[in-house]
Amino acid sequence: MRTIVDLISGGADIGRTRVFWIGFGVIVLLFLLYPTQASAFRVSNVSFYLLNIPLGLGMALLWGYCGVLSFGHVAYFGIAGYIYGIIAGNMSENTLGPLAGVAGGLLASAIVAGIFGYFVFYARVQKWIIPILTLVLTLLLETFLGQTAGYQWRIGSVLLGGYNGMTGIPWFRLGGFVFEGYSFFYLCVVVVLACYFGLRMLVNSNFGQVIVAIREDELRTELLGYDIRARQWVVFVISAMLAGLSGLLYVQWGNYITPSQVGLLQAVLPVIWTAVGGTTSLLAVVISAFALNWVTFTLSSQGNQYAMVIIGALLVVTMLFFPRGIIVMVAEWLGRLIARRAPSSQP
Amino acid sequence: MDVLPLALSLLYQFMTGAAFFFLAAVGLVIILGMMNIINLAHGELMMIGAYTATITYHAGVPFWLSVILSFFVVAAFGAVLELLIVRRFYGRELGALVVTWGVSLVLGQGTLLFFGPFMPSIKIPGGSFSYGVFSYSAYWLILVLISLLLVLGLWWLYNRTPYGLQAKATMQNAEMAKSLGVRTSRIYTLTFSLGAGLAGLSGALMAPTLTIAPFMGQQFIVPAFITVVVGGTANVIAGAVASSAFLAAVKTPIGMAFGAFSGTVALLLAALIIIRIMPDGISASLQKFFNRRAGRTAQ
Repeated sequence: MRTIVDLISGGADIGRTRVFWIGFGVIVLLFLLYPTQASAFRVSNVSFYLLNIPLGLGMALLWGYCGVLSFGHVAYFGIAGYIYGIIAGNMSENTLGPLAGVAGGLLASAIVAGIFGYFVFYARVQKWIIPILTLVLTLLLETFLGQTAGYQWRIGSVLLGGYNGMTGIPWFRLGGFVFEGYSFFYLCVVVVLACYFGLRMLVNSNFGQVIVAIREDELRTELLGYDIRARQWVVFVISAMLAGLSGLLYVQWGNYITPSQVGLLQAVLPVIWTAVGGTTSLLAVVISAFALNWVTFTLSSQGNQYAMVIIGALLVVTMLFFPRGIIVMVAEWLGRLIARRAPSSQP
Repeated sequence: MDVLPLALSLLYQFMTGAAFFFLAAVGLVIILGMMNIINLAHGELMMIGAYTATITYHAGVPFWLSVILSFFVVAAFGAVLELLIVRRFYGRELGALVVTWGVSLVLGQGTLLFFGPFMPSIKIPGGSFSYGVFSYSAYWLILVLISLLLVLGLWWLYNRTPYGLQAKATMQNAEMAKSLGVRTSRIYTLTFSLGAGLAGLSGALMAPTLTIAPFMGQQFIVPAFITVVVGGTANVIAGAVASSAFLAAVKTPIGMAFGAFSGTVALLLAALIIIRIMPDGISASLQKFFNRRAGRTAQ
């Protein structure tokens, strides 16, 4: 029976030395202290960078560890966000409304991903078909949501709102406690940490070893007696729910969502975070998702027209010159540097 | 209402629908089938074709000449793209998908910054005529004809020319082809360039029917990729033709009855069902069927 500590410090992610964990602890502490030093506006911005991390982690799990690429994970982000808006908006008098919205949103992304995943994984389609069809799904969702303007698209008391989006989505609340501003920031920190450690345990578990084996060689893994279709399906649903989690936090953060959240320009972002971070490391994707959200948010809030050109060029450069990811390659270089300084501390 | 005009109108809608799917996908399938590379910048290559046609047309070049010019401009662009970027991703199909998506972002946004959000449109040549209560666009009938000519031309290219023979050899076994003296890297460049050129040609051909804008390429993503997924890679040209016809047969009645969006949803559902039944697409199943028949007659 392996303990939680063994699972977390297994070999499936970078960062296993004592130096690393001290640094990790310091950074978490800095995040926890951040609201005492920064304005509410900055804290809200940092909340936004954090809330996208589960979406990136879902991509890292699916693409990096399982070898299945999805271009449409923002669809699950959007589905969860819209369902939360519908449920919580209709139950605005009830204190349990937001909780029901969270459950409904996660369930909806899991169901859509489950149906979609059944068709592609149980058909054993070629590798390139899954990203194409996921992209088609999210573009259709955008088209559908875009034409929901007007009063005939009212669910209970909530308007879907077409391209103007759904507005007035309630904050998340537990009983009488409402998560907004600083408390929402702490909610994001806790969710990100829980997702990261949960996934780190998952990829170091037996299940995680098998999904890495599927990535390396599907046929060989199957011949060892594993049902690869079921495992790919499970990973797909988990990563869709992580995307849904980000969607839930997003609508709770901004209290609105528009169809462009599931559009082409958003769909490429999780792929970029994962590619730039490095597909084989959860931690690298956490760092790059945070950093790239910071960069794009800053660029686009300044009205910089070059934001998407820069992001696209970054993706091309990463794929050409840093195929294992920029953060992973930097981390490996740092690791070698530390190992050279203190050869005895390495096992 | 008479039956004949209605039947003719349905046939017209079906044929123009199939031509649209085929034109949207033709450049993509050539590159996919021969090189196993999915070019996510396909829509942007079509956009560049449309821009080339629009700019040259408004500079006074006759429309059909500007269409042909678009083919060569985008083909040259495709060759550069292959030499600089795509070349490094042979054998890594997921990597190729991701990097071409980056290229598509740069091209789309770059066009927006360079040319602005709007371009003057091209007047649809040919006019229209009507039969019964339905009206028909002569230009779309010409596009149907051009699609058929393209099918014939591609069949001729891949079955009757030295390039086609070498390309097929490279596709089946690149190492062997290389050792027999085929310059495979040149074949790859030529094939990518041809696929890009065809995308540019299609974009230019459809330019009069569309709004010319930097992100116009996005509207081809769904039809082009669904055509490729349904068609499969066993025999790309036959696959593209069969799947264009199939998708038009799905979309035309559903789109007529329930609106354009329902028609597009039906396309995705049809694609999911097709890959569940035939994971390698229609073309693989067709090929199996004909092989079996050929085997039976040979016995």
